[in-house]
Amino acid sequence: MTEPPLRIAVLGGGPFGRALAAAAARRGAEVLLWSRRAQQPPEPSVRLGGELSGVTGADLLLLAVPSPYVEALAEGLAPLLVGRHLLVHVSRGLLGERLRTIGDLLVRRTAARRVGALAGPLSAEALSAGAPAAAVLGTAFPEVEEAVRLALGGGPLRIETTSDRCGVEVASALVGLMALAVGYAQRSGLSPATLSALLSRALQEARRLGEALGAQPQTFEGLAGVGDLLAAALGDGRPEVRIGRALAEGRPLREAARSAGGHVEGVRLASRVAAFARRRGLQAPLTEALAQAVEGRQSGWQALIAALQA
Amino acid sequence: MPLRSPLNLALRALSERPLRLPRAGLRPPGPDDPPLFRFDPAERRRVIEEVVRRVEAEVGTDRAALELALNDAARHEIRRLLEQKDEETAQRLGQWKRLARRLGRMSEQELREALHEVTYAMAEDVAGYFDPRVYELARHLAPRLIAAVMEPGSLPRGLADAQAALDALLEVEGEVRSLQALHRRGTLVFVPTHSSNLDSIVLGQALERCGLPPVVYGAGKNLFTNPLLSFFMHNLGAYRVDRRIRARLYKDVLKTYAAVMVERGYHSLFFPGGTRSRSGMIERRLKLGLLGACVQAQARRVVEGDGGRVWFVPTTINYALVLEAESLAEDWLARAGESRFILPHDEFSRLERWVAFFRRLVGLRSACVIRFGQPLDAYGNPVDAEGRSLAPDGHPVEPTDYVRFRGRAMLSPRRDRAYTRALGARLAEAYRRETVLMATNLVAHVLFRRLVAETPGLDLFARIRLRGEVAMAREELLAEVGELRDRLAGLERDGEVHLGPALRDAEPADIVDRALRVWNGYHRRVAAHDLGGSVRAEDPMLLAYYQNRLLPWAERVAPPTLREVARQLAAMEEEHP
Repeated sequence: MTEPPLRIAVLGGGPFGRALAAAAARRGAEVLLWSRRAQQPPEPSVRLGGELSGVTGADLLLLAVPSPYVEALAEGLAPLLVGRHLLVHVSRGLLGERLRTIGDLLVRRTAARRVGALAGPLSAEALSAGAPAAAVLGTAFPEVEEAVRLALGGGPLRIETTSDRCGVEVASALVGLMALAVGYAQRSGLSPATLSALLSRALQEARRLGEALGAQPQTFEGLAGVGDLLAAALGDGRPEVRIGRALAEGRPLREAARSAGGHVEGVRLASRVAAFARRRGLQAPLTEALAQAVEGRQSGWQALIAALQA
Repeated sequence: MPLRSPLNLALRALSERPLRLPRAGLRPPGPDDPPLFRFDPAERRRVIEEVVRRVEAEVGTDRAALELALNDAARHEIRRLLEQKDEETAQRLGQWKRLARRLGRMSEQELREALHEVTYAMAEDVAGYFDPRVYELARHLAPRLIAAVMEPGSLPRGLADAQAALDALLEVEGEVRSLQALHRRGTLVFVPTHSSNLDSIVLGQALERCGLPPVVYGAGKNLFTNPLLSFFMHNLGAYRVDRRIRARLYKDVLKTYAAVMVERGYHSLFFPGGTRSRSGMIERRLKLGLLGACVQAQARRVVEGDGGRVWFVPTTINYALVLEAESLAEDWLARAGESRFILPHDEFSRLERWVAFFRRLVGLRSACVIRFGQPLDAYGNPVDAEGRSLAPDGHPVEPTDYVRFRGRAMLSPRRDRAYTRALGARLAEAYRRETVLMATNLVAHVLFRRLVAETPGLDLFARIRLRGEVAMAREELLAEVGELRDRLAGLERDGEVHLGPALRDAEPADIVDRALRVWNGYHRRVAAHDLGGSVRAEDPMLLAYYQNRLLPWAERVAPPTLREVARQLAAMEEEHP
């Protein structure tokens, strides 16, 4: 007895959303791509939709909108979602002063309970091209795991799973922040040894902050933490690294961000994470230095580099 | 009375062995009777058999699993019986030792038989019983007994008077209307906070007063030591929980029993905190075992059963005066990390303390406030009076959808564990919102906060030792109490907490006097001493205990000069739970 194809809705027409839609369609799912902007379907079988109400027929919803738009999207989805909807998001953001995760937002604002977060060193290009890649899915629900595997797994994309959704979300966001440091450090001409020391410290700091936010420490040793940070360091070309480089060149943030193109979560996070660390009395020198750099001050960063090279 | 006198032994035997009335003459339950009325011996037998069947199926997957389960049970039981050294030991130790010796040599079939025997005995021991006549008797008797204890000189003139006396003491608030509609539409699982062994008794009274049905719940063994109480417990649907038994099999039997009862539509109650709060703080990290069993019960009803609804009712039980406050607070501080699950010989087991307690409460309106929060479905959605689950934006959602995947309704323990964790978090939030603060909480907070402010650098344990060293001028105390009450009233308007009825419009002087009167008329330790022009903090431990209930709001209600102190206090929730 064959099961009917999995019905998927991808929300967000940027590169990542399009890549997800294409990958799922190639695996045989029925895919609807919702986006606020008009576009061509990434695969012929992908249906396009402009009405949010069109996503309710889906079993699995993949949210690929930048974090500033997630709250508005959640408000829009609130009257539409019911208990059978499975939600997975790929955002790298944390919300508000208290750095709430997007998964928590979705569970609070909608009737959906079975939520997951997909993260790791997965790029839109690799996904689109069907190149070998790896990602980690954080969810407590076996059905979310099964749906994501059906939608995206089994081919060149290798999906690992963990029950620590919070950890995946926090790790993914903090690594996004630390990627700024990677770019900055590379442009500052640090040696491989010093750069490695920096990366090591970055991971420790991210883990420390993550634990205070409810993450399990071992999640940082996986794809959402170390895996993703290494990808940034090895040159996956992500915007945070480019912005970091631009900041190291002394370019103002606005210009740097524009040249990197698109939304850069790490930049938005820096000041808020630094403030959080201060409130909780946590050691976060790298985050503090990044927040200063983003705000146009270089002193903290200089001190950090000096300490690393000593 | 010496412990081993014939009368005492007879009384103890009466407590242990359930005393049941012959069932001849009992009329069959009518359609309007509460579900528990149909819990007759035949139904009880069916429940026991279902419990045994399920536990056997889950535990006895293969020979290795059987041996493991029985070995674990034997080990724990032998250790327990050796520690207890009582009649139970004499009766049961031999059997367990023999089983333990034979386990390695038994065939799979023999192991299955042994598992069946052990599980059956446990289920039989746990399973409750219900007699509608005893229920009727309890309804009439309880108010009279309590009134008699309160005013032993005067014979209560009638049920109406006794009821009135009890009514004045106990206030019931919250979603009563909703529950009155819902109990016929679905199965209610009350999940209250736990501060005192009186909780189940006052809650029973509250349910009775609101016309809500009797509930099934696990009564700890200590509620069966008193023969009178034991008789009622045995016949009112309570199932017996022996918390000394650590065997895994026993816990499985308990959880399965609770789940089966919920599946079969019996309204239930249990305390997700597990044990009475030693610190007086509101429960934050709930035990998820029984909660999970009930969440699974909802799934089973959808997938395999009648599709009936299971609704969780977060409830707070709030006392101006806590019967066992002194023992509990001592245990809180003695601990440094370990909990004695059972406190032997605390105030609950001393009749003199009961009498003193209830006498103290004479004339004290609303000494106990029970507040029912909005019911939640197993997925954390609030439920309205029509029994509809509501999404956060208010539109109704179908709860059965949560057990469906791609159109099929299915059982999934892992999924239900995740739902349970989320539900636990929602319940903890509800407990805070539905907490009702009393005069003693406020006055204790102001005094203890002053003590902390005047002793910078000291830790909790050092501060507890400062008896009678810190005092507040009466005007300052009144001013701070008034300000605290006003700030809390503001939070109440935002729906974040509640104030006891006696607090809202009272004069600060009355609030302070009420607190002092209540404490010093009952507790052996003097919490605070009124010196006329000032009030002295005598027993910091008792003050800390009573003000611990306010910690979630301590920072927000502190005046600017005391913000740092309030931050330290608030940190206690994490550091000394």
